[in-house]
Amino acid sequence: MDHRSLIFASVFPVPSLSHSTPTPIATPDLGYTAPGQSFGSPYGGNTGGQHRAVNRNIAWSTATRFLTLSRSSLGASFDALRYQRTAEIEEALQYLLVGEGKSEDGHEEDLVDWYTNEARVHFATQVRSRLIEPWKKEIELRHSWEVLRETQELLLQVQKSYLDPFNQHILPFIQRANRASTIRPTSSADQEEDGEANNVSRRFRRDVHAIFAHSLPPQRYSKTLSYILYDSGCRIFSVYLRHDGVKPDSTPENVRAFRQRMIALLRGLDQVGLGGDIAQKAFAHAMDKLIDSFIVSHYTKVDWFTKKSIVPHLRMFMRDGFCAFVELVLECLRCYPSSVQPAELASWQEMALGRLGRVRVENLFDFVINWDKSLGAFLDIKEYLKVAGAKQHLTSSFSQQISRRLLHAGATTTYILNVYISIIRAFHELEPKGVLLERVARPIRRYLKEREDTARIIITSLLTDINDEAGSKFLSSGELSFEIATEMQKPFANFNQDADEELNWNDLNWQPLPTDASPDYKKSKVEDVVWFLLTLWEREDFINELKNILGDHLLRCEDPEYEKEIRLLELIKVRLGDDKLQACEVMLRDVLDSKRINAAIRASSAPSRVTDPRLPQTPENAAPRTPRPRRGTANTPSSVPRLRSSAQPTLNAQILSSFFWPLLREDHFLVPAQIQTLQNDYEARFERIKGMRKLRWMNALGDGSVTLELEDRTEEFDHLTPWQVSTIYAFQPQPGEEWASKTRSRGKGKEKESSIARNVSQLEEMLEMDEQLVRQALAFWVGQSVLRESASDTFEVIERATPANIDTEAAAAAQEIAEVQAAQQAGAVRSQADLLAEKKDVYMSFIFGMLTNQGNLPVQRILMMMRMMVQGGFPFGDEEVKGLLGEMEGESKVICVGGEVWGIRR
Amino acid sequence: MALSANARSNGGGSATVAQRYGLPISLPTSNPNNITSLQKELMDIMTKPTPGVTAFPDDENMMRWTATIEGPDDTPYAGLTFKLSMAFASNYPYTAPGVLFKTPIYHPNVDFSGRICLDILKDKWSAIYNINSVLLSLQSLLGEPNVSSPLNGQAAELWDKDPAEYKRLVLARHKAPEELDA
Repeated sequence: MDHRSLIFASVFPVPSLSHSTPTPIATPDLGYTAPGQSFGSPYGGNTGGQHRAVNRNIAWSTATRFLTLSRSSLGASFDALRYQRTAEIEEALQYLLVGEGKSEDGHEEDLVDWYTNEARVHFATQVRSRLIEPWKKEIELRHSWEVLRETQELLLQVQKSYLDPFNQHILPFIQRANRASTIRPTSSADQEEDGEANNVSRRFRRDVHAIFAHSLPPQRYSKTLSYILYDSGCRIFSVYLRHDGVKPDSTPENVRAFRQRMIALLRGLDQVGLGGDIAQKAFAHAMDKLIDSFIVSHYTKVDWFTKKSIVPHLRMFMRDGFCAFVELVLECLRCYPSSVQPAELASWQEMALGRLGRVRVENLFDFVINWDKSLGAFLDIKEYLKVAGAKQHLTSSFSQQISRRLLHAGATTTYILNVYISIIRAFHELEPKGVLLERVARPIRRYLKEREDTARIIITSLLTDINDEAGSKFLSSGELSFEIATEMQKPFANFNQDADEELNWNDLNWQPLPTDASPDYKKSKVEDVVWFLLTLWEREDFINELKNILGDHLLRCEDPEYEKEIRLLELIKVRLGDDKLQACEVMLRDVLDSKRINAAIRASSAPSRVTDPRLPQTPENAAPRTPRPRRGTANTPSSVPRLRSSAQPTLNAQILSSFFWPLLREDHFLVPAQIQTLQNDYEARFERIKGMRKLRWMNALGDGSVTLELEDRTEEFDHLTPWQVSTIYAFQPQPGEEWASKTRSRGKGKEKESSIARNVSQLEEMLEMDEQLVRQALAFWVGQSVLRESASDTFEVIERATPANIDTEAAAAAQEIAEVQAAQQAGAVRSQADLLAEKKDVYMSFIFGMLTNQGNLPVQRILMMMRMMVQGGFPFGDEEVKGLLGEMEGESKVICVGGEVWGIRR
Repeated sequence: MALSANARSNGGGSATVAQRYGLPISLPTSNPNNITSLQKELMDIMTKPTPGVTAFPDDENMMRWTATIEGPDDTPYAGLTFKLSMAFASNYPYTAPGVLFKTPIYHPNVDFSGRICLDILKDKWSAIYNINSVLLSLQSLLGEPNVSSPLNGQAAELWDKDPAEYKRLVLARHKAPEELDA
């Protein structure tokens, strides 16, 4: 640029800095001489450039003044008055846009750029403040629609005001120029020219849209838009459980009208440039939530009745409903391609399935409990398991549910067992290979093993006949699992668990183990619940427990044929292998043999003894135990019908092979003399029949019936324990007490009018019975209103039941005590606690010896040594060891030397 | 009842004993048998403890035990406690256990390393002995040493000549189990 131009520019502001201020017309028009006319200047050679600059300035002023947007008003910034293009303006525009004044190489300002800038400045000063007013704070969801619509309308108006001048005054020149310059009017050329005009136009629009878009807070905008889309989706699909907590109107909405509204808004937004990337992201976000809401709202309901999976329906919805909606929105936002590809659809279906699955898994525990009504839910989950990562999710989530809801002290063992059975069944449906089951069941199995009563409940339940009268027992007793009992009734596949199927090379159906199986995974071909339960423990442990319970059961059993027991033992044999169940078989045979021997002995004694025909023969149970290693038989006296002196009591015995039976209780006491006689008699006959065998009576295990003849009443009692019988018998007049019966008018009753009274220590002495048993028996009889406590620890017979001498309250209380006590020592088989008490001395001497010789040891080490060293095993844990140590500490034998370490007290 | 060190009444080698009791002549070498018998002995010791002697295995394989005996009353050892180690061979009870005093002891038949000279632990061993009888023998050895074949000549000499000096040396050499452990 030459010197003069620089001076000029310094005096008059550079046009580009003040487009809207026209250059004063009075400026010397130095350069605007007609072409070719000599001005006589020495710089004539340069005048062309100078003239152009000046000309351009003038034209610029004219054009920009014309195009300037009004600062005063918003919408009608380009008022109609100025629509009149004068020739001068026209010329200026022409000159600037397509003529010589067109900017070259970007050195000079381009009119289009200027106009864009003008629009930007105008927007910033006039529109923006108003536009962003509602966007300044968080937009409340319920206002989203209005805000968005207002914004969109405002922008549309503004955009129109910018575009109109552009389209009318700028674009036509460019188009015209293009067209004029075209020599070949071929269609392709047309397109090219239009293309150029379009380029300009598109660029302008793009700039305008960018201005708009930048003026709005992007996050807030996308959040609002996302909400709008989500809201639309929810309404169109009538989702009633929404993410945002909005409650749907109770009146059915006009879906069609609503859809139109949404389409209109979306189209509008797209027109003002608010579609595009931001909107697409918002849309994706909304759809994400929409799937969730839709699934929660429509598919969390399990089909409890038809037990069908809802997955096919979900897939259908994804294809026909969701995709259609997505396509509609995409079209409104003018995304390309607006149609959904099949692959996308498939992945969406999978996503939806994954969400459905997660929702289902969250409630898996409830489904398990409600198995098999919840079959539908499991079918859904089964589909879900095909999704990647589903198994891990299911395992971890379900394990959590189990530990929170099942494996705690508040759940009864029966309940846990029932749930476990449901889990087995349900997971078998879910995944027949059992890998999942094995994984989720591991904590349950571990937990069940820790519970003391698990084995007892399982075995008792197995031994229970559900078709029995016991049916009602299930309701009352928490000790039996109906599920297990039912399971036992089912026919089962006979499979030999010893066979190693991996080595069966003839198995043409062999398949490798599932890849995700853990090392101790075992293939279970059958859904055999009992098998799962029986494998909770090592087989030997289980059989030991079975022995105990079966023993107890057999002793109590009243069915003389033992049909059920035989059947169940056979069933268990099939499952556990018959080699291990020898003891159980012997036990069963013992009770069956006993019946025969009883009959034989009674037959042989019949001539010498008249059995009272009025009394039914009660099969009795007794279990003795010989300490000798050779197989001994022992029996217990059982039913002791107590009769008046005229009638003979009868006795039946159970003969048990002590070697095979579990340890049985051996409380010692004297039985009534009559029974004693019978026992001796029986024993003699037995030894005659059985040769070398010896009988040892176990008095505590019997079961007796007595008839009491009191002065004013006769009462019969069945199923009494022997100590109860003995105790009441002790109230018979003893030698030296005949005065009692003599005073009676009828003299036949065994109790006297003034009533025989005995105190506890007397009874202990007479019967050689433990005080505990005496008290228990007394409590029972007080409960039956046969005895009453006349003074502390002294009891007498209630010979005449009158309101005066019957204290019902005391009787009720005593009965309660008796029941509680009876429950405490109900079992014929000794419990762990009994075992511990019995062997306490040995254990304590073990510990003492250990500590003496090995120095101070921690509890854990003591326990381990005990387990290793004690012959016959030490079936106890930490707690018991600590108990023993505590007791020994009490005897000043040992001392705790800190932490859990114990040593000998010196 | 204790067997004295010079008792000669326990004749008969292990084979004789085995024959007498109808046991197989070939000596069992497998560990299980041996462990079972040791386990049984442990059980016996624990159920019928003998006052003054006790023993317990060092670990679960039961081949090494620690035993404790108390010095008999009316001997220089009264009131003292001695620990011993016992090592059983795999064919026990057909060979004698190796027994050593862990507690330092001043005694004619025990050397300063704790080695014991007692016939039933050497050539007079018999399978009818058990841990309990060995310990009882040792206990009685404390009160009735065999001074004619001493390992500790000074002790043998002092035993008869100067009981007071003998007792002083016994006490000087003895260490309580707590000191040993420490």
